[in-house]
Amino acid sequence: MPRPVEKLVSLTINGNEVQAPAGMMLADAALKYGDVEIPVFCYDAKIGPPVGACRMCLVEIEGIPKMQAGCSVAVTDGMVVHTDTPTVKAAQEAVLEFILINHPLDCPVCDKGGECPLQDNAFGWGGGLSRFIEPKRHFEKPLALSPLIAIDRERCILCYRCVRYSQEVAEDFQLVLEERGADTFVTTFDGHPYVAPFSGNIIELCPVGALTSRPYRFRARPWDIEQAGSVCTLCPAQCNVSFSVRDERVLRVLGRDHEGVDDGWLCDKGRFAYQAIHVDQRITAPMLRDGGQLRPVTWEIAIEAAANLLSHAGANTGALVGGETTNEEGVLLTHLMRETLGSHDLDSRPGGALELELLRALNAPTLQASVPDLQYAHAVLVLDCEPVDDAPILDLRLRKGVRHHGVKLLIGSSRPSALDERAAHSARFAPGCGEAFAAALGAELAGQPSASLAEAAGADPADVVALATELREAGEEVVILWGERLTAGPRRNEGARALLNLAQELGLDGQDGGGLLEIPSGTNSRGLREVGVLPNASIGLGDAATVGRDSEQIGEALAAGDLSAVILLHSDPLLDQPSSALWQRALGKASAVIAHAAFLTPAVLEHANVVFPAESYAEKEGTVVHPDSRVQRLRRSIARQGETRAEWALLAELAARIGNDPKALTCSMVSARIFEQVPFYAGLSLDLIGGVGIRWSEREAAASFPAAPAAPFTLDPPPAAASPNGLLRLGSFRSIWASPDVEASPALAFLHPRQRVELSPADAERLGIAHGENVTVASNGDSVTGLAHIRAAAPDGTVFLQTSIPEGSAALLEGPLVEVKRS
Amino acid sequence: MTDTLLFKGIDEPGLNTIDVYLARGGYEQLGRALKMEREDLITELSGSGLRGRGGAGFPMGKKASFIPKGDMQKYVVCNADESEPGTFKDRELIQKNPHQLIEGLIIAAYAIDATINYIYIRGEYDQQADILDASIAEARERGFLGEKILGSDFSVQLELSRGAGAYICGEETGLLDSLEGKRGNPRLKPPFPANEGLFNGPTLINNVETLSAIPSIIKLGAEGYAAIGVKDSSGTKLVSISGNVERPGNYEIELGTSSRELIYDLAGGPVDGRAIKCWFPGGSSTPVLTADDLDVGYDYDSIAAAGSMLGSGAIIVVDETQSVVELAYKLAKFYAHESCGKCTPCREGTRWTVHMVERIKDGTATPMDLDIMAAVQEQIIGHCLCVLGDAMAMPIGSLIAKFRDEFEAEIEDNRNERERKLAEEFAAAEVEIEGISA
Amino acid sequence: MADAQRHVARFTNDSRIPGWDRAADLTKEPAVVPDAATTEVPAELRAAIEDAVRRFPVGDSAFIPALYAVQEQYGWCSPEGIEQAASVLGRTPAALTAVATFYDMFRMEPLGRKTVYVCTNISCSLCGADELLEALEAELGEAPDVHIRGFECLGACDIAPMASVNGIYVGPIGLDQVPELARQIVAGDDPLPAKQLIKRPCADPKVAEK
Ligand SMILES: Cc1cc2nc3c(=O)[nH]c(=O)nc-3n(C[C@H](O)[C@H](O)[C@H](O)COP(=O)(O)O)c2cc1C
Ligand code: SF4
Ligand code: SF4
Ligand code: SF4
Ligand code: FES
Ligand code: FES
Repeated sequence: MPRPVEKLVSLTINGNEVQAPAGMMLADAALKYGDVEIPVFCYDAKIGPPVGACRMCLVEIEGIPKMQAGCSVAVTDGMVVHTDTPTVKAAQEAVLEFILINHPLDCPVCDKGGECPLQDNAFGWGGGLSRFIEPKRHFEKPLALSPLIAIDRERCILCYRCVRYSQEVAEDFQLVLEERGADTFVTTFDGHPYVAPFSGNIIELCPVGALTSRPYRFRARPWDIEQAGSVCTLCPAQCNVSFSVRDERVLRVLGRDHEGVDDGWLCDKGRFAYQAIHVDQRITAPMLRDGGQLRPVTWEIAIEAAANLLSHAGANTGALVGGETTNEEGVLLTHLMRETLGSHDLDSRPGGALELELLRALNAPTLQASVPDLQYAHAVLVLDCEPVDDAPILDLRLRKGVRHHGVKLLIGSSRPSALDERAAHSARFAPGCGEAFAAALGAELAGQPSASLAEAAGADPADVVALATELREAGEEVVILWGERLTAGPRRNEGARALLNLAQELGLDGQDGGGLLEIPSGTNSRGLREVGVLPNASIGLGDAATVGRDSEQIGEALAAGDLSAVILLHSDPLLDQPSSALWQRALGKASAVIAHAAFLTPAVLEHANVVFPAESYAEKEGTVVHPDSRVQRLRRSIARQGETRAEWALLAELAARIGNDPKALTCSMVSARIFEQVPFYAGLSLDLIGGVGIRWSEREAAASFPAAPAAPFTLDPPPAAASPNGLLRLGSFRSIWASPDVEASPALAFLHPRQRVELSPADAERLGIAHGENVTVASNGDSVTGLAHIRAAAPDGTVFLQTSIPEGSAALLEGPLVEVKRS
Repeated sequence: MTDTLLFKGIDEPGLNTIDVYLARGGYEQLGRALKMEREDLITELSGSGLRGRGGAGFPMGKKASFIPKGDMQKYVVCNADESEPGTFKDRELIQKNPHQLIEGLIIAAYAIDATINYIYIRGEYDQQADILDASIAEARERGFLGEKILGSDFSVQLELSRGAGAYICGEETGLLDSLEGKRGNPRLKPPFPANEGLFNGPTLINNVETLSAIPSIIKLGAEGYAAIGVKDSSGTKLVSISGNVERPGNYEIELGTSSRELIYDLAGGPVDGRAIKCWFPGGSSTPVLTADDLDVGYDYDSIAAAGSMLGSGAIIVVDETQSVVELAYKLAKFYAHESCGKCTPCREGTRWTVHMVERIKDGTATPMDLDIMAAVQEQIIGHCLCVLGDAMAMPIGSLIAKFRDEFEAEIEDNRNERERKLAEEFAAAEVEIEGISA
Repeated sequence: MADAQRHVARFTNDSRIPGWDRAADLTKEPAVVPDAATTEVPAELRAAIEDAVRRFPVGDSAFIPALYAVQEQYGWCSPEGIEQAASVLGRTPAALTAVATFYDMFRMEPLGRKTVYVCTNISCSLCGADELLEALEAELGEAPDVHIRGFECLGACDIAPMASVNGIYVGPIGLDQVPELARQIVAGDDPLPAKQLIKRPCADPKVAEK
C-alpha cells in the first residue's frame, strides 16, 4: 500500500486552535501539535492501533456525551476537545486510583524508578491518597521470564503492551495473558521461557517496572547514568541505539527510535551483546606470538613488530576487511595496502569479487529502496536471504508492512524462512541456485519460458509462475530484499545480472517506493565498497588502477606461497569465508598474520602473529553506510577499555612507520577526506549526518554516481542444481546468534548456537535418523557432527547446517553434496 | 392481550423438527422475503419498530440499514450467548422452535446480503446447541441453506459456534473476538461491527429473540407488527421471570403491559404472600426498582422513565426476606468474575467492590465505607471500555441509594457481632492466661 | 499437577490465583509452534481438530472447538494436548492457553470428567442455591472423576435452584433429592429424569390454552 498522504485538519484543544494531520490519534496530535499532554499507559503508536484498555487518556469532546479515550480517537476537522475540565480530572484520578490499588510501593527499589511512566502519571494526574484499605496482593518476585527478562507481577498494570508486542509486532506469540478479570496475568506457555530474537523490546515497552532486564537489574539508577547515542554495528541493520553509561561502562542499550532505520526496536543481540565490551576474554592489549603463544606486549613492541613484518612482506601482503570496519578505517587500510605496501590484494566481500560494472549497477542510487519502503510497498520479494538472521530488525519491518499496510510478501529462498507464514507465496530453490531462480523469475516476468530455469534452480516451476503472477499483479512499488549470497561464489556475476534483469522487468529503476535493497554479509559492507575496499575498485567505486586479488584468491595465493602476509581487519576467515579448508591452509602457510580483533576467535588464536585490540562499537568514532545508503555516524560513548587504542590512528601509524604517513591527525579529518573523494558523497559532513544519518542516494550529489551498464543482460544458462542421488544437497545459514559478541556476553551465551543438522522428515526416515540424534555430515573426507533436527518445513533432498560458529561450521564441508548418517 | 407470536405452538411436540415446522407454515415468510427487494425488506424491518431484544434495545431495521453495500463479505451473527443473570428466553426459543430463528436469520442475511453467518451459542447450552445443530443440518438438507436457496440468487451458509463460558462474550464485540478464536475481550468502538465486525467485514449482530421475531414481521407486515405494543416499543416480548415468585418462567407479553400484571398475575408473585423488596426489570445489570414501581408499564420508555432499563427482558424478583448485602455480594462477585480484565476501572472496580462487601459481611466495615463504595461505582460509570463495568456499578449504586438504611443496619449488626465474638475469644484467651499464671 | 482437586479461587483470595507465582523454567526451550514433524498427535484428536478447521476456516476461529477436542481427549486441557493442538493448528501453545484460561468451561487441571455446575447466581441463590451446592459437594465427597463447582447464571433461573450435570440441566432440586442425584452422578446415570429442563413445558398459560 502506498504511503498515506497527510492532510491537515484544525481542531481546538483546551481553547487553542491546533493543526494536525487527519487521522492522527488525538493523544499524539495534542502532544505534538498542541503541546498538551494526555496521559497514556496502554497506547504506543509503534505497537499498532490503540486498544483503549487502560482508560488513562479519557477526555471530553464536545458533541459526544461519553468521555472518549484520547489515544484512540482520530482527530477530525472542527473537533473541540477538553483535557482539563473537572470531569476529565475526576476520570484521571479515578483510573489512577484503580491502578494503584494493586501496585506495590516499590519505587525506591524498582529499576524503573526515575524513568517510570506510572510514577510520572501518578505525580502529574493522580489524586493523592488511595482509599483502598484491603491489603495489597503479594507474589513471589521478581521471577525469571527468561534468562534475560525478569517479571514482577505485583507491579504489572495489565496495560497489554508486552503481549500485544509479542503477538502483533514480533509475532512470536509466546507471551500471552492467561485467566481474565483481575486475575489476568502475563505469562508464557507452561513455564517455558520467553526466548525469541526480539524479546528484549518488552523491557522498554513496559510502562512500569514489571518487566526488567536481568543483566541490568540494580546496576544503576536513572540519575547516575548518561545516555550516549550511537549505532549498533553488530549487523547490517545498523539500528540506532543509546548507550546507558556509567563510569565509562555500558550498562544498557536502549533503542533510539528511527523510523528510517529500526522503527524503534532492537534485537536481543543488539540489546544485550554490549556485555561483550566488558568481559575479561576481550582483547584489550596488543599481543605478540612468542613460542607459539600469544602474549601481551606494549604497543611500541606490537607496532614495531607489525611494521617490520609488513615492510618485509611488502606487496606480498593481502588484507581481509570485516564488516565492522568503519569507512575511515577502510580508507586508511587502502592507504596502507595500496599506497604504502604496493599491494592491491584487499577485499571486504567474502564471496569473491564482483565485476565493478555490475557492482555499480546494483548500487545505482535510482535503484535503491529504503527501509520504510519495506513497510509501504505493494510487494516485497525476499530473495536468497533470511532477514531475522541476516539483518534482524528488518524482519519486524516486513511483518509490520504485511499486518498494517497490506504489503504482499513473497519469498524465494533455499531454507524455510521465519516469514513464510506471513507470505502470500514462498518458493524454495536448491542452495546456491539463487542465480538460476532469479533468472527463472525474470524469464517468467518477461513472458519467456521459465520451467527449465526453475528446474535448474531445483525449484518447482509452478512456484516461479505463482511468484511472477503475484509480482505482476501487485502494483508498481516492489522492493527486492536480496542477500549478498546471490552475488557470491563462482556464479556471482551471473547472479547479479539475473537480479538486475529482474529489477528491469519490474521497472524498479527510478521507481519511487520500490527498488533493490541488499542485505550484505557485513555491517558496513556497503560503505567499505563505496570507499574502495575492494580488489577492483578505487574510492568512490572508481576503476582500480591495478586490479588485485579477491578474498578467495588471497587465500589461494597465501596457500600457494604467492602472498606471505595477511592483515585480518575485524575478520576471521575461518568463520566468515566460505571455505574453512582453504583458509586453514592459507593461514598455516602465511608467515605473518596481523589481526585486529576483539576476541580470540579461531584464526586469531591459532594463526595471528600480532594482535591489535579492536575497539568496540561503543568506543569507536567514524562513519558507516546502511544498506539503504544512509550514511550514519558512530560516536564514542565510553573510554576505550584497557589499553585499546583508536584503530584509525593505529592504521595511520603503521603506514607512517613503513614510510608513508597518511597525515591523518583526527578521525574527522579522515571522514572529511572521504566526503571529498567519493563524488556521490560530495557536500556531506559529520554535522549533516548528525544523529539520524542521511541517505546519500537521495541527495543531489548522487547524480555523480559512476555510470553503470543497463539491463537487460544476456544470461548464460545456469548449471543445473546438483541432483542428490542418495546424498543430500548442502545448504548453510548463519544464525542471528552466531557472533563472537553473543558468545562472549554472559547473558546471551545461552543462545550461542551449536551445530544442528536440519533434515526433512522424508530424508530422516530414509536415512533412519531420529530427531535429536547425533549425526555426521561428510564430504570429501571432511565431516561435521551435530544433532539431527527434523523440520516439517525442510525441503526434501537438502540438509542445512550453520556457518560462522567456532566448532563444526558448515564451511568445513565442501558442497554441493554431502553424506548424512547417524554417528 | 394479543395472540402469541414467538411462542405460538411452542410446546407442540416435534416443533423443533423441520417437518412439523413446515406443516405449521414454516419458511413461508422466507420465500416471501426472498421475493422482495433488499431495500424494501430493510424498510419493512425498520417500519415494524422492532427493537433489539439482547439488551440495548437498538432498532433492528436501523442497524441493518447501517451495513454498507458492496462486494465485501458480510455476516449476520446471532447472539445466543444469553448469559445475563435472570435471562433464559432465548434458550426456550432455540430448544423448542429453532427453525423460527433460522428462518429469521436467513431473512436478515438476505436483507444485508450476508452469505456467511454464525450463531454463537453459550457453551453451557449443550442440549440446545445439539438441537440447533440438527435443525441447521435439516435446513441445509431441505435447501433453505446453501447455494441459491429457493430458486433465488441468494446463497447462504450458517454455522453454529459454541462458546465456552464467559459472560462477556454476550457483549457483541467480545462475541466477535471469541468467534474469531480469541480471548473474548470487547473491542474499541468505533469502528462498529456494522462497518468492521467479524474478520473485519460488515456484521449485523442480533439477539435470538430479535431474529426469531422477523418471520412474524414479514407475516403481519410492518404495520401489523407495529400495531402491537406501545409507541417506540412495538411487538411482543418474552419476559423471563425468576427469583422469589410462585411460577417462574418465560411469558410472551405485549410491550406496555403493567409490571404488576407480569409479576403477580403471570408469575404468581412471591410465595406466602410476602412483599417485594426490589426487582430487576431487565436482568441483573439494570438498576433495581422497588414495590413502588410495580405499576410501571413494561416497555422500553416507561422502564427508562422509572430509572432503569428493559435490558434483556428478565425480571428478577427479590422478596422482603432477602438481604440486600447478600444481593450486592452476589452481584459484585458475578461481575468481578466476568470482567474480562481489559480496562482498568472495571477490572479493579469490580474487585474492589467485592472486597468492600466482604468487609460489610465480616463486620469490619464502617458506614463511611458505604460512601466509598458508592463513590467507586461512580468512578466506574462512563469510564470503561464496554458497559460491563457500568452493569455492576448501576445496580449496586441503585441498591445503595435505595436501601442505604438496610446497608447501614447490617454494617452495624455485623460489627457488633464481630466485636462480641472478639470479646468472647479475648475472654477465653484470658481465662487460659490466668490458667497458666495460676 | 499434584494438587488436582485444588479449587480455582478467582477472587476470594487473591494470593491463590494459579500461575501468578509461576516463573519460567530456564531449562526449557521456548514454546514456539510445535513442529508437525516431531509432534505426535492421536488420530482422533487430529481428526476432530481438522474437522473444526474445515468448519471454521478463517483465522483462529477453530481454537475453541480444538480446545474442546483436547479436553475430550485428555479429560482436561493438558499441556501435552495443547501442544498437539497447537501443532495441528500451526500456532503457538501459548496462543491456545491464553484462550483456554479465559473461559470457564476449560479445565486447566485434571479435575474430573464428570462435570457438575451448580448455579449460584442471583435467582438461584434466592431459591437456596448455596445450600444446594454445599449439600451436593458434601454428598459427593471425594468421588473420583467428578468435578463440581459453583457457576454463574446458567440461563435456567426458571428451575432454580438448578445444576448442569454433564450439560444436562436439572431443577428445581430439593435438598431431599441430593443423595439420589449424587448417586446418579457418580454412576453416570441419567440425572433426575423427572426434573430435566428439556422436558419442561412453557410456563406461559397462553401456550397451554392452544
Ligand atoms: C456485558 C454484556 C453482555 C451482553 N450479553 C448479551 C447476551 O447474552 N445476549 C444478547 O443477545 N446480547 C447481549 N448483550 C448485548 C449485545 O452487546 C448486543 O447489543 C446485542 O446482542 C445486539 O442484539 P439486539 O440488537 O438484537 O439486541 C450484552 C451486552 C453487554 C455489554
Ligand atoms: S508486564 Fe508491563 S507491559 Fe506487560 S502488561 Fe504488565 S505493565 Fe504492561
Ligand atoms: S538488528 Fe542488527 S543493528 Fe539492530 S540491534 Fe540487532 S544486531 Fe544491532
Ligand atoms: S468494562 Fe470490563 S468487561 Fe468491559 S472491557 Fe472493560 S474490563 Fe472488560
Ligand atoms: S492510553 Fe488510552 S486507553 Fe490506554
Ligand atoms: S440464576 Fe441460576 S440459572 Fe440463572
